[in-house]
Amino acid sequence: MANIFPRWANRAPLRVIGCLLLVVGAVIAGGTYYLTPKYARVGYEPTQPVSFSHDLHVTQLGMDCRYCHTNVDRSQHSNVPATQTCMACHSMVKTDAASLQPVRDSWANNEPIPWVRVHKTPDYVYFNHAAHVNRGVSCVECHGQVNEMEEVYHAKSLSMAFCLECHREPEKYLRPNDKVYDLTWQPESEQAQIEMGEELVEHWRVNPPESCSGCHR
Amino acid sequence: MDQEFQSLEEKTGAAYWKSLDELAQTGGFREWAEREFPQGASELSGGFDRRHFMKIMAASFGLAGVGLAGCRRPKHEILPYVDTPEDVVPGQPQFYSTSRPTPWENMPVVAETHGARPTKLEGNPSVPGTAGGTDIFTQASVLDLYDPSRAKRNRSGGSTLSRAEALDRITALGEKIRESGGEGVAFLAEPSTSPSRRRMVAELRKACPALTWAEYQPIDYQAGDRAATRYYGRPSRVQPHFDRARRILAVDCDFLGREPGSTRHTRAFSASRRVDDPKEAKRMNRLYAVEGDLTLTGAMADHRLKLAARHYEGFLAALARALLAGGETLPPGLVAAVRGMPEDPAVPADWVEAVADDLRAHRGEALVAVGTGLPERCQFLGLAINEMLGAPGSTLSLLEREEEEATTISQLANALQQGSVNTLVILGGNPVYNAPANLDWPLLQQMAGEVVRLGYWDDETSVAANTFLLTPHYLEEWSDGETREGTLLPVQPMIEPLMDSFPELEVLARLGGRATVDPYEIVRETFQQRGGGSSPGAFQTFLATGVLPESGYPVLRDATPTGEVVRVLREAPPAPSAASASDLCVQFRPSNQTLDGRFANNGWMLECPDPMSKLTWDNAILISPQLGKQLEEAGEGQIFPAANLMNETGQLVQNTARFKRGKEQALMAELTVNGATLRGPVHVLPGLDTYTVVVPIGFGRTAVGPVGQGSGFDAYPAIPADNRWNASGGRLQLTGEVYELANTQEHWSMEGRALLREGSVDEFAKKPDFVSKMSVESHSPPIYGRNKNDPLAEKVTEIPQGGSMYKTPEFTAPQQWGMSIDLNVCTGCNACVIACQSENNIPIVGKDQVLRGREMHWIRLDRYFATQSEDEDGLPDDVQVAFQGMACVHCELAPCETVCPVNATVHDSQGLNVMAYNRCVGTRYCANNCPYKVRRFNFFDWNKREIDHFYEGPLGPSGPPKPLKMQKNPDVTVRMRGVMEKCTFCVQRIQAGKINQLAKAGASSDVLVPDGTIKTACQQVCPAEAIVFGDVADPTTRVSRAKESPRDYAVLGYLNTRPRTTYQAKLRNPNPAMPSKYRYSQPFGRRDYEQRYGHGGGHGKGHAGDDHGGKQPAAASHGNDY
Repeated sequence: MANIFPRWANRAPLRVIGCLLLVVGAVIAGGTYYLTPKYARVGYEPTQPVSFSHDLHVTQLGMDCRYCHTNVDRSQHSNVPATQTCMACHSMVKTDAASLQPVRDSWANNEPIPWVRVHKTPDYVYFNHAAHVNRGVSCVECHGQVNEMEEVYHAKSLSMAFCLECHREPEKYLRPNDKVYDLTWQPESEQAQIEMGEELVEHWRVNPPESCSGCHR
Repeated sequence: MDQEFQSLEEKTGAAYWKSLDELAQTGGFREWAEREFPQGASELSGGFDRRHFMKIMAASFGLAGVGLAGCRRPKHEILPYVDTPEDVVPGQPQFYSTSRPTPWENMPVVAETHGARPTKLEGNPSVPGTAGGTDIFTQASVLDLYDPSRAKRNRSGGSTLSRAEALDRITALGEKIRESGGEGVAFLAEPSTSPSRRRMVAELRKACPALTWAEYQPIDYQAGDRAATRYYGRPSRVQPHFDRARRILAVDCDFLGREPGSTRHTRAFSASRRVDDPKEAKRMNRLYAVEGDLTLTGAMADHRLKLAARHYEGFLAALARALLAGGETLPPGLVAAVRGMPEDPAVPADWVEAVADDLRAHRGEALVAVGTGLPERCQFLGLAINEMLGAPGSTLSLLEREEEEATTISQLANALQQGSVNTLVILGGNPVYNAPANLDWPLLQQMAGEVVRLGYWDDETSVAANTFLLTPHYLEEWSDGETREGTLLPVQPMIEPLMDSFPELEVLARLGGRATVDPYEIVRETFQQRGGGSSPGAFQTFLATGVLPESGYPVLRDATPTGEVVRVLREAPPAPSAASASDLCVQFRPSNQTLDGRFANNGWMLECPDPMSKLTWDNAILISPQLGKQLEEAGEGQIFPAANLMNETGQLVQNTARFKRGKEQALMAELTVNGATLRGPVHVLPGLDTYTVVVPIGFGRTAVGPVGQGSGFDAYPAIPADNRWNASGGRLQLTGEVYELANTQEHWSMEGRALLREGSVDEFAKKPDFVSKMSVESHSPPIYGRNKNDPLAEKVTEIPQGGSMYKTPEFTAPQQWGMSIDLNVCTGCNACVIACQSENNIPIVGKDQVLRGREMHWIRLDRYFATQSEDEDGLPDDVQVAFQGMACVHCELAPCETVCPVNATVHDSQGLNVMAYNRCVGTRYCANNCPYKVRRFNFFDWNKREIDHFYEGPLGPSGPPKPLKMQKNPDVTVRMRGVMEKCTFCVQRIQAGKINQLAKAGASSDVLVPDGTIKTACQQVCPAEAIVFGDVADPTTRVSRAKESPRDYAVLGYLNTRPRTTYQAKLRNPNPAMPSKYRYSQPFGRRDYEQRYGHGGGHGKGHAGDDHGGKQPAAASHGNDY
């Protein structure tokens, strides 16, 4: 009697298992890479129409965040400055720099500068800047050391786990309100931060939401 | 024949019912009510089987991998302003005051704009009277701004006109009419309350003295003003003050519903209706209503007399005589005239006398409101009666209006007929659709050589015009207007005009050859002339507050009736014969959905169930059950449902009338009246006068956008010029055809449990806690265990286990949200439903989907009927109506949460039951487990697909078109297919309130939001102020105090769900001196509780819970003794 299964069938289970492993591995790798914010977002550094250097403006010239992002403490949205804001200085300073041509064009033609968005939360997340910067959460906690960036990049993952880290233990991240826009400020020690943070949480009645309605509406 | 009525006769004790099917407990209804969703709602239909589904899904999974490359983050751009406008903070809404013009009043509003897009309208709290409330139409009007089918181009003949060409036309027309002095030129305009327009018209008429200026509106709301003017000999208006009245009689006056000024009236009425302290209970007002229709006012009435419209005059005459007999006085001529008026045998004299006595006993605090549509003699009698009762100066004000001269449409028609008009300019309105039937307007209009139309829609009139010019929406233009009492309000633009439109003021100014044509300047001039002051600051203040205080009409001094009155009253014809099936009384009523047809393309309005009939997307010929029975007996077809499909001998009974899968199978009928025949579906509405047929107008438009296409039938062909409201001599004939009506009546029924609780004022005064002694709760209260007597603030944060072994959550946030709804003042006006829709991005689903029970409204306004007795046919004799708004009640121990497999619905720390849409996978278990049936499921991508193309999925046209997206509230997620949604307590407003407070608090501990800062959309809009929302953890807030009221109860509280929304029981204020036929000591609905649950005061007493299937006599007088 002839064999029912041909000879190659002996190796078939191995091959099937191998294929399955490959597929599962690819799915996991793909999922991790494409879908988790840690890879999909952190490090994202698009080329902007104007190579604006935060390092130059903040660290070297000492400008405050709110000179340009005027509404950060008043609105959910931290506004990108209007061309008018740029021109306030650059109508006098560096008036013929080639890199500033898009700004001058914008001003002349009344057309906005198409800045590329770096930080974006999903549509179903309602993040509010005013609620944070008025209550001792510094820009640096979510945006990283923007003051040192030549070109802005995505520094933190901004995933839900990232948000909850702070919402669960606000004392680790809070600072006095006058240091919120000082991105170079550091607590004296970890211990000092916790002590001060706990005091702030108590005095300010800080009670960050940990339930869905805090961010999803 | 009685077979069909058997079920109604064997009524099993549910004294509250929503429909005749429910009353009869037909098999169809039972199945319907017991289901999770209405049948059909949760099923796949349309030839799509499981195998087919699997095939397609397998293919799409296979393809899923291909698209992955596109998953990397797309490039987004941020486009900031070049030059930021002042006061604009991206991400923050801005609020501007304006007002919505209608031909009879301007409704003050505050518009919420996001990035210069108006998204939501709210009442303006700075304006006295309405004080922040608005009506349903105002709420819906913002949708018209973004309606993709609004007219988009100016045109002449078939060709489009550019803006410059259109302007040239206007200029040329102006030159022409000024040259001819207005000879041969006629204007037909919709009335307006705008003083600026009055000014422009006066200037135009001065420049062209021969010009004809006519005004027309299909709903004649001016009969009252006209009558008052003739009565006092000066242009006047009667302005009632319901807040000052303790005894009110409304004669066909739906002042809580469709009458002008209803928002203000509702607020005032509820102020004198509201009782918090049992000791003060007797101060509650008492409302009598006389009507043939069943209106919201009738629903609110403590005593309601069903009376056909032709007997109103007889009724008022009888009342006047009864008051005279009681010793009240009138000028002698009037006394004789009133005494000489014929007596109408159809008016129940004992009812009239009892009411007259009650009114007289409250002289100076009594008010008789006569409907604005009633004929002159009725108005005169109403004014005379109010004088006898000492109402002028106390419960009503007589105001002196400005005289407005305008010819009527009938006079204009004569001129057209004679050929003396060669140019006709139509401003607004829609006369081709709604002009009086006897004028044959569409043809007549052609008699004018040239017809120029200024309008908003591509409607019937625009299509028939030679030249069509666009007008802006009121949110796009400068104008002004007045409230009913004459207070000046601005109309401000919220957005740059979306189309090349021409404001009416500008067109009139140009035609009149004015130097200044800018509407803004015109409005400013008017403001100065009205005494607003000439400083720029004064005008800015006017715009900011949205009102010019103290600018109302002056009070009419020394008002005495003219001799005209006596003459008119003497001319009263003999009493009319009683109505019969061959001589029906037909009442034409402004629709609760489209008004007069102007909202016929507004999806929100069309899908909003009529408060009484609960019909959507259609109007119907409303008939009384008694008339239905007579039609049936005449062998015309089956109107009523039968309990069983099989009769006793085993034969199948053809039953066309039942609800088939929840779709009302209505019979078509032909209604012949005023020489016209209307064809429409018949809907039985209990509470109508037996021989009164009610026809809502404003449907059946022919030239309308896609949304309004094919909804309802047009009643205007039966409405002549002389009487716009009521007609006699109607005949009704069934045609045998069946028409499906999208009725939401039985959706989400709660099966007559003690959901809505009512008591009488007497009872409340004697036993303030009667509410908690009703229903199952008296036997099985919510289980709080030993924490039963803890204060509310503790109960809502600690959530006592109450002896249960399961751990309960603890709510840690410092503020806990809750709501209280006072059923005693809720009028059922539906404004909350649309306010919620507008605020929360709730989609419409179309008639086909409503038929399947898939409507999405978060608030369902339940309407319950209750009867005291039935006639020999088992038909309800008289009904009481009660409304109960029902949305998610935010249970502390929510049944929906325990069944969600993915934790998509969970509690937050502030006590809200929240939906995380991005987690929801659409199992619908939560809806299944919700005892309140308030969860709504997105069966389709309502926001992504066009109505009527849902089944085509991505292959169908994508829609709704772009402009509609501009209305969406950016602070609320637009939900997609496959997720559950429900009321969120307007969580976006709560968060906005909290965050604003946090930003204000900064480095301090002042983080608690003050009471009253956060208002939910439904609370904000409510003209009756029936809804209170706030922090229940703080005993000083308004909501906490409301919850302490003895009338406070939780719906289905015995399920231990501990809802955060509780209700305050409704009270009725019956007159104990009424004749026995009309007397009652407890609300009709109480019969149900007495029979089902006994008297509730203690165990073992009157425990009839077991035999609630049995036949019991009416137990209405039962309740006094527990």
